[in-house]
Amino acid sequence: MFEREDETVERVIQQLRRPVAIDPGLDARVMREIAQVPFPKRRARLLLPLLAVAAVLATVLIVARPWIWNSASKTDALQFVLVAPQAASVALVGDFNDWDPARAPMQTAHGVWATVVRLAPGRYRYAFLVNGVEWRADPSAPAAKDDEFGTPSSVVTVGGRGS
Amino acid sequence: MILAALLLVTQVATQDPRLERLDPDTRATVVAVLDSARDVGLPVEPIIQRALEGTTKGASGARIVAAVRRLAVDLGTTRGALGTSASAPELEAAVAALRAGATPEVLAHLRDVRRPPLTIALSVLADLVASGVPADSAAAAVLALAPKARDADLVEFRRAIERDIALGAPPGAATSVRLNAGAFVNNSDVSHGNPPTRRSRP
Repeated sequence: MFEREDETVERVIQQLRRPVAIDPGLDARVMREIAQVPFPKRRARLLLPLLAVAAVLATVLIVARPWIWNSASKTDALQFVLVAPQAASVALVGDFNDWDPARAPMQTAHGVWATVVRLAPGRYRYAFLVNGVEWRADPSAPAAKDDEFGTPSSVVTVGGRGS
Repeated sequence: MILAALLLVTQVATQDPRLERLDPDTRATVVAVLDSARDVGLPVEPIIQRALEGTTKGASGARIVAAVRRLAVDLGTTRGALGTSASAPELEAAVAALRAGATPEVLAHLRDVRRPPLTIALSVLADLVASGVPADSAAAAVLALAPKARDADLVEFRRAIERDIALGAPPGAATSVRLNAGAFVNNSDVSHGNPPTRRSRP
């Protein structure tokens, strides 16, 4: 019984070991077919520029992140108030309006002059110009100690993180 | 393209029409200061604003030029302390802190212990000194709070000290007491975003 099985196995092995006759033109035909398939090449052609653009964008974002982070266009609305019952006019001037009195005239109600300004994060120097001639600091804000022009100024700081 | 954009920005800044408010001699000198600042990568807007402040306040040309030159130098010093990634508002606030008495080493230390932006922390430092707090005490207090305090905490810290001073407390003692009270550090990890827009007082 065992011998018969061995013979069978041996015959199978011999059969498997017989060289298979392959058409000598098969390789050439297969390679020709592969060469004619367009998709992989097209994908690669599209993929490479996309990868390049993505890489450039990623680099720009990484490099510019501190500036983007710091210069996010967030603004706070701040109300500025000066009590000046005798004043005929009061203007708010500062780093946020090019120190131009014409750009920020304040409105009055019974001698209380007020205006609202939207400010991006930063530290701003400012002052009130009363009647076009008299400079006054804001009594409710920190004074600008580094005033180099001989008139009082105040400071307002607008924060960008939980302020 | 970036180079072209930079050149365009440079040209626009050089021809800034706001500077026409200065007299010609002063304008020429201020433009030269701006060019120098721009060449070394310093922000020019604070310098322009200082020149405009001077002319609106009727200061002499010599005084305006001295002010903008001094500001350019100080911006360079603070950038040296805070690094090239510091924003213009941070540099401007750092100049105020520097002029209040904080050393460049204090600024650099603050940069190391607090994530940006540092604008509020630097401003609070300057404002504390302006309120009468000795510069070293103000710097020590802000550096102690800086790692964990939110910007709002720092602003409230300053306001509390100003209230104490207004009530008669010695500035240094008020700072020390408020710092040791420890009520100004928010240990939660929430609220590190911007607050909703609101109307507030300076």
